[in-house]
Amino acid sequence: MANKVKRGVAVLLVAMSKLIFVFLAFIPLLCTSFSPERPSDRRVLVLLDDFAVKSSHSLFFNSLKSRGFDLHFHLADDPKIALQRYGQYLYDALILFSPTIERFGGSVDAAAILDFVDSGHDLIVAADSNASDLIREIATECGVDFDEDPASMVVDHSGYAVSATEGDHTLIASDDFIKSDVILGSKKIEAPVLFQGIGHSLNPTNSLVLKALSASPSAFSANPKSKLTSPPSLTGSSISLVSVIQARNNARILISGSLSMFSNRFFRSGVQKAGSPTKHEKSGNEQFFTELSKWVFHERGHLKAVHMQHHKVGEANEPAIYRINDDLEFSVEIFEWSGTSWEPYVADDVQVQFYMMSPYVLKTLSTNGKGRYFTSFKVPDVYGVFQFKVEYEKLGYTTLSLSKQIPVRPFRHNEYERFIPAAYPYYGAAFSMMAGFFILTAVHLYSK
Amino acid sequence: MIIFIKVFKRREEKRRGFLWCIAKSRRSERMARSSSKDAQDLFRALWSAYAATPTNLKIIDLYVMFAVFTALIQVVYMALVGSFPFNSFLSGVLSCVGTAVLAVCLRIQVNKENKEFKDLAPERAFADFVLCNLVLHLVIMNFLG
Repeated sequence: MANKVKRGVAVLLVAMSKLIFVFLAFIPLLCTSFSPERPSDRRVLVLLDDFAVKSSHSLFFNSLKSRGFDLHFHLADDPKIALQRYGQYLYDALILFSPTIERFGGSVDAAAILDFVDSGHDLIVAADSNASDLIREIATECGVDFDEDPASMVVDHSGYAVSATEGDHTLIASDDFIKSDVILGSKKIEAPVLFQGIGHSLNPTNSLVLKALSASPSAFSANPKSKLTSPPSLTGSSISLVSVIQARNNARILISGSLSMFSNRFFRSGVQKAGSPTKHEKSGNEQFFTELSKWVFHERGHLKAVHMQHHKVGEANEPAIYRINDDLEFSVEIFEWSGTSWEPYVADDVQVQFYMMSPYVLKTLSTNGKGRYFTSFKVPDVYGVFQFKVEYEKLGYTTLSLSKQIPVRPFRHNEYERFIPAAYPYYGAAFSMMAGFFILTAVHLYSK
Repeated sequence: MIIFIKVFKRREEKRRGFLWCIAKSRRSERMARSSSKDAQDLFRALWSAYAATPTNLKIIDLYVMFAVFTALIQVVYMALVGSFPFNSFLSGVLSCVGTAVLAVCLRIQVNKENKEFKDLAPERAFADFVLCNLVLHLVIMNFLG
C-alpha cells in the first residue's frame, strides 16, 4: 500500500517536472517583445473599419508578416480590444486603418493611443476623406492638421495620374519624396506614388514632423464635387500627403492622408504621371510603404551607443577625476540595427562635448569603420564638474543622448613648477632684499 | 630749508622770464643757457644741503635707493620676458617696495629733526622696523613660488 502511494507520488512529480520544463521552454517565446537588444517591433495590432480591408490591403500586410511581424487584426469598435493589460503593453506597434471610426471599442481612446506612443511604441495612421474627429485628434496631437473640410481631397490638375477616364484629378501621382536614405532606403523609388485622399499641413511649431511625400506645387485641397468659390486653405507643396514623426523618445509615427494608398489595387496598378511620357508598369507605392514601414518599425535607422570610455593618454583605466590640462582619450561605440543584427555605424559627424554649462571642447570623433569612435583632447584650464556628452541627432536616425559626469580639479599645491629659470631674477631680488636688511641692521646698530 | 626757498624763488623768476621769452625768440638761446646753469646751481645747492644729513640717515637713504632700483630692474625684466611666473614677479617687486616703505618709515622715526616722533625712542623705532621686515619676508617667501 505504502509502495503504491510512493509510486503515485513519483509519477506525479515526473509529470509536474515535465510541465515546468515545457513552460520554461516557452518563456523565450513569451519574451520576444520590444527590447533594447532587439529594437524592431514584434507584435502589431491592426485596427480596421471592416475586415474587407484585410484582404484588399493584403500585399502590405503580407510584406509585414514575411518580415516576422505578428499581426493581430481587430475591428476598431471591437469591445474586447485593449492596448495594455496589468500595466504591460500587449503590442509594440499599432496600425490604425480605420479612418471613419468615431469611438474605439474597449478601453482604447485617443489618450490611450498617445500614451502608447509616449511609452515608445510606433504608430501608423491612415486617414481618408471623411476622416473622423477621433483620427483627426490623434493626428493633431502628432503635429499634423488635416484639411478641416471633411469632404475635401487633394486635387492636382497637372500632376494627376493618367487613367482611362479623365476623372476629377484626385488620383495624383507624386514623386516628391523626402531626401533621406535611412527613411526610404538606399534604392531610389523610380515610379511615382499614387495618392487619393485628404491632404494635411504640418504644424509649424512641431519640429519633429517631416513630409515624407509632398504634393506638387500645382496641387490644392478642395471638395472636387463642388464648385470652388473661395481660395482653398491648403495649396501647393505645403500640402503633405504622407508625414513621418520621430518623437523625442524615438517612437515613430507615420500619418497618411489616404488609406487606399496601401491597397493592393494601388500597389499593383501601373502609373503614368500627366505630362510625362514614361509609363511605369507598377506604381511606387509598394516600395515606398515597404521601406517606410521598415523605418517606422525600427528595422532601420536605430542606433545604440555602448562602451563610452575615457582615460588619460598612456593609461588604460578610467580615472575618477581629471586635473586641468590633462591629455585624455575618449571613445564610444555606435551600432545600427539592421533588422536582424547590430552593424557598425559609420559616419563622420559624431561629436563629443566636454560640457560644463556650455561646451568647453567640441570635437568631431574619428571612426575605425567598426563602430568605434574615438578622439583625444586636452582638458581645458578650468576646473569644475564637467560632462562628456554625445548628442547625436541626424535625420531619420534615433537620437543618441549620452552623458557621463567627471570632475576636473586644479593643480595640487605641490604640483606647481618650482624654481622656474625665468623667475630667478625675482628670487634674487627677494633674497638680496633680505641680505640688504641684515646689512642695514648691522650697519645701523654699529655706526654710531 | 632756507636755501630751498631761495632756489625756488629764483627759479620762479626764471620761469616767468622764460614764458616772456617765447614771444621774443631772439633771446631764447641765451635763456636756455642760463636755465641749464641754474639747474646746476640747484643740484649743487641740494647736494650741499644733503651733506649735512646725519650718516645713519644717509645709510637708510642708500638702502631705499637700492630697493627702488631693484624693483625697477624687475619691472623692466618682466616687460621683456613676460609675466609668466606672475606670483614670483609680484613677490619680488613687493619685497623691494615693502622694504623701501619700511626703511622710509624708519628714517622718519629716527630723524632727530622730526618733532612728531621726538617721544619715540630710536631703539623702539628700530625694533618695529625689524619686526615688520620679518613679517614682510615671511609673506614674500610664501608667495615667491
